[in-house]
Amino acid sequence: MKTNLLVLAAAVMAWAAPQQFQLDLDNLAAKASNAVDLSLSGSTLRFAAKFLDGGDPEEAQIKKLIEGLQGIYIKHFEFKHDGEWTQGDLDRVRGQLHAPEWQRIVGVKSGEDKSNAEIYLHVENGKNTGIAILEGEPRELTVVNIVGAVDLEGLAELGGHFDIPKLTVPKDKKSK
Amino acid sequence: MDWLDDELKRAFERQQPPPGFAARTIARAAQGWRLQFPRWAVAAAAVLAIAGAGYGYRCRRGEEAKQEVLLAFRITATKVNHIQTEVLR
Repeated sequence: MKTNLLVLAAAVMAWAAPQQFQLDLDNLAAKASNAVDLSLSGSTLRFAAKFLDGGDPEEAQIKKLIEGLQGIYIKHFEFKHDGEWTQGDLDRVRGQLHAPEWQRIVGVKSGEDKSNAEIYLHVENGKNTGIAILEGEPRELTVVNIVGAVDLEGLAELGGHFDIPKLTVPKDKKSK
Repeated sequence: MDWLDDELKRAFERQQPPPGFAARTIARAAQGWRLQFPRWAVAAAAVLAIAGAGYGYRCRRGEEAKQEVLLAFRITATKVNHIQTEVLR
């Protein structure tokens, strides 16, 4: 029975798109005070798109962003105390993002709020075919995997909507 | 008045009910009163009920999927925004 399950899991992995990786973070769910686990396949996205209101500017933008996506997979954990998650948890995810397909385009380490964040792009034939976002804060851990052609500019434009703070550019950077 | 007596006797003469009358009466009484609809109407009502339930379920699932998609983009956009802010800092 166990062997059958392993074979099935391997078959599913082989069938899954190369831009999709394992969000192996279930061990954190029990420790988290709040957890979000989203697994939206391409068919779910297309189905949901039919219910998005094209007359609403935000929903229309989301509808446009969904086009060409094959899946969105997110795990987001919030903790009551520091140190509930470890770098090992992130390393398990990061270890699947191999070059040259996966290219790290952003890596940020902030001493101020002790957070670190990375954005990886999956590139095939010079085209962006997926994205991975890893962000860890002392009491928060988020991993996002979007499979398909992601419009990063469109994502950034969502700032200011849905209670998302609009991108704030520090004054010294604005002047440069 | 003989003819009148004869008519009255005939009119009030005891008659036996047709065979099976008692059994049919008891059976109908046991069934109670029931509306009789044509079969096609019952089938059409069943099809409409199933279609309505299916449409309702589809709408509910669609709304749930939409909320999940909105949440996914809300989380992603917030993270991208946060990272961009850190990069520009």
